[in-house]
Amino acid sequence: MAQVQLQNVVKKYGAVEVVHGINLEIADNEFVVLVGPSGCGKSTTLRMIAGLEAISGGDISIGDRVVNDLPPRHRNISMVFQNYALYPHMTVRENLGFSLQIAKRPQAEIDKAVDEAAQILSLAEYMDRKPGALSGGQRQRVAMGRAIVRHPEVFLFDEPLSNLDAKLRTQMRTEIKKLHQKVKSTIVYVTHDQVEAMTLADRIVIMRDGHIEQVGTPLEVFETPANTFVATFIGSPPMNLLSGQIAGGEVAIDGGPKVTLPDQFAGKVQDGQKVILGFRADNLMPEGHAMPMEGASAEFEMVVNLSEPLGTETLLFGSLAGKEVQAKMLNPRPVADGERLQFQLDLTRCHLFDAETQQSLR
Amino acid sequence: MSRFRPPAWFVLLLPAIIILAAVVLIPLILSFYSSFTPYKLTRPETLYKWIGTFNYEKAMKSVHFWSAFGRTVLLLTVALNLEMLLGLGLALLVNKVTYGQRALRTIMMFPMMFSPVLVGFQFKFIFNDNVGLVNNALQSLGLTDRAIPWLVDGQLAFFSIVVAEMWSSTAVFAILILAGLFAVPRDPIEAAKVDGCTPWQSFRHITLPYVMPFIYIALAIRSLDVARAYDIVQIMTNGGPARRTELLWTLIGRTGYVDAKMGYANAMGYISIFLAIIFTVYFFRKLNAARSELGMAG
Amino acid sequence: MNENLQHRIRARLLKLAHFVALFIAMAIICVPGLWVVLNSFRPTVDIMAKPPVWIPRGLNLDNYRAMFGAVGEGGVPVLQYFTNSLIISVTSTFIAILVGMAGGYAFARYRFKGKAAIFIGLMLTRAVPGVSLSLPLFIVMAKTGLIDTHMGLILVYVALNVPFTIWLIDGFFRQVPIDLAEAAEIDGCTRWQAFWKVEFPVARAGVASAGIFAFLTSWNEYALASQLTRSTFSKTMPVGLRDFTSEFTINWGGMCALAVLMIIPALILTFIVQKHLIAGLTFGGVKG
Repeated sequence: MAQVQLQNVVKKYGAVEVVHGINLEIADNEFVVLVGPSGCGKSTTLRMIAGLEAISGGDISIGDRVVNDLPPRHRNISMVFQNYALYPHMTVRENLGFSLQIAKRPQAEIDKAVDEAAQILSLAEYMDRKPGALSGGQRQRVAMGRAIVRHPEVFLFDEPLSNLDAKLRTQMRTEIKKLHQKVKSTIVYVTHDQVEAMTLADRIVIMRDGHIEQVGTPLEVFETPANTFVATFIGSPPMNLLSGQIAGGEVAIDGGPKVTLPDQFAGKVQDGQKVILGFRADNLMPEGHAMPMEGASAEFEMVVNLSEPLGTETLLFGSLAGKEVQAKMLNPRPVADGERLQFQLDLTRCHLFDAETQQSLR
Repeated sequence: MSRFRPPAWFVLLLPAIIILAAVVLIPLILSFYSSFTPYKLTRPETLYKWIGTFNYEKAMKSVHFWSAFGRTVLLLTVALNLEMLLGLGLALLVNKVTYGQRALRTIMMFPMMFSPVLVGFQFKFIFNDNVGLVNNALQSLGLTDRAIPWLVDGQLAFFSIVVAEMWSSTAVFAILILAGLFAVPRDPIEAAKVDGCTPWQSFRHITLPYVMPFIYIALAIRSLDVARAYDIVQIMTNGGPARRTELLWTLIGRTGYVDAKMGYANAMGYISIFLAIIFTVYFFRKLNAARSELGMAG
Repeated sequence: MNENLQHRIRARLLKLAHFVALFIAMAIICVPGLWVVLNSFRPTVDIMAKPPVWIPRGLNLDNYRAMFGAVGEGGVPVLQYFTNSLIISVTSTFIAILVGMAGGYAFARYRFKGKAAIFIGLMLTRAVPGVSLSLPLFIVMAKTGLIDTHMGLILVYVALNVPFTIWLIDGFFRQVPIDLAEAAEIDGCTRWQAFWKVEFPVARAGVASAGIFAFLTSWNEYALASQLTRSTFSKTMPVGLRDFTSEFTINWGGMCALAVLMIIPALILTFIVQKHLIAGLTFGGVKG
């Protein structure tokens, strides 16, 4: 078991720099998820930890060992690949035992480890099949089993669920979480799906364009996004963002209503400063269909263009100051398109970002 | 319409069947028949004299025939195996190159464009004991002070022929194996690295099984026209000196054209045909086995 | 850090070894060919010099002048041979491609009884060694008067190339989804139009690579040509090479010049379609 440390890690392909000196510390037994849109450098980072890509600068250490130039086999890691990467010419049993076979472990030990993994992942009845004869979910489990048998210091997952259908993905997500509870080891997990990140991670690392945008627990990044990118990337539906200006204790939304400056930002902004007001759909609700709001709130009217009933609640798409804004309706009633409703905005849950830097003003 | 309409596939295949029948099948039937006669080119009437399996028996009892037969099998085995190994090595070397790989691939195909006769002459010249490139180089470097009789000594001549044959055909293996290496998916190789394989182990356990079908294809293609070696040998030594490099094909050629004993030559020709067919069929079966191993059959 | 340094040094050394090995391999491949080219520009005296002349001196075009002038040593009618080779190779390649396309299409698109057997039968005709085939062919051609004609050799080469062309083209047509042709037919094409407008363009790479192989085989073939051609009217270049040898001497300079003339068209052609060459072999073979 071991911690993983990245210090100023840089990756260049020729003259193009794709990872720009990132720093990250992953504690022992921690489940860290790297998340971001495609091309953000998250997979490259993972592959650098694995030793499949050479690093162009900085240091990577696993445990208390610097592993910059070590080949993967000397890093004591195991990895689950996006396309499973099973060996097509070996049976499930051979696939699982391969790494131990290579390490020349005694056969009895191999059998024990393989059976144990098969047990954990309920693979026992497929042991003599070849990967070609397995379904997607089964292949996924074999890939995970192959990672388990070695008892590595660090597990690396590279978008392991992206090739599964939605139902299976949810199921495997739970299994991975259970697996982490059982085998207790450091896990670095890459995905582009923020739901996966939220549900699995102890800590989430949000990346964009080769930079780390924010590191924090799922609740931290959800509650206090560091910038507008994190605010829109984490959470579904994405946070509503409206540009405006500070005007005497109020935020004047460009071409829209004025709302009182939320208390948590008092003293952190100057008069005349250009800002972006952010709030989630959960915090904008029509009157009579809202949660009781304890703190300060603002009220304004909005036209609803479209509604999506979800059962316990209805998602409303309105327009405010020419921008689309999403809101939620509790205890829903049918809403006609074009209906004008009075909305309440929970100011305690609002965010303000600087219009220029896009960073949170909190 | 009561007229019979042949199925489309038959019409499409007809030209191929006709031409192969005319150029290959009919002559082969003729030669099969003539192998039971004492046919001599110079005496056409001998074509109608039936002597049964006399020619075959004669071949079976002939020391020359058996030594040529043995030497042919030996040449095929040695050359094909060495070419396969060298081709594999060459393909691995080129596969690792990132910049300028296209240029290297083109150079690699260079020998494929050389006519086997040309290869024969070229190596006859290179191995010439008096003015050849090899002896000149060895002597200039002071490694030997006498002329090594490359094409005169039986064993050296066999070696020289193998070298020439390898130079001309290793490229075929290299290209096909390279194509195979391109087709190996990256993921399992990386998985093997992470699983703790040394480069050799991941080659042995992952890359090689993937490349195996390509190796068998190369072997099958090469065994289809392995008789190309005839051109090289005929030019370099023509089976000589004193039959020391005699192969089945040179023996057949000389018996047929120089001694004009067509019947006897055809009998031996049939034996060489079966030899070629056995090699080909063997490799095609291996190919199918290797394919189904990887689940690529169908 | 020591461990890291070790691995870095080892990686460097491996890189160096790789480079050296590659260089040696490429040198072995190139030297014999370059030697031929070099000698084609040297007088025979230099080629045969003892002790050897390593640094080329007095390079000239004499061998080429003699070759094209059809005078000088031997007076080998090279241009005639070149024309013969060209006519025979191009014609036979063209016919082999047409026949091969029809056959390959039949194998790729139709199901019929004995398909595998017919396929193997066709393939095995290729396994017949040239010498063994040349004996009876010689007799048949002599009887039909086709011996020593362009026509005779063209027919032989078509037969030689058809099995392999069928194999390659079959593999390529199988890569073309059958839906494509069906979609075209629904769009109002006849089967014939669907083939030429949709399937053929997609499989063109395969046809190109089959064409190259057929051309190279015909261009370089010797065993059959040496028996079936007798006079300058039908001799091809590989056979013509032997004109430079006499009982005891070989005109190496002249021969090298002819060799260069033989290689150049093959080289150009291969260079143009080298991409298809690899694709052709792979598709035709493994995935087929």
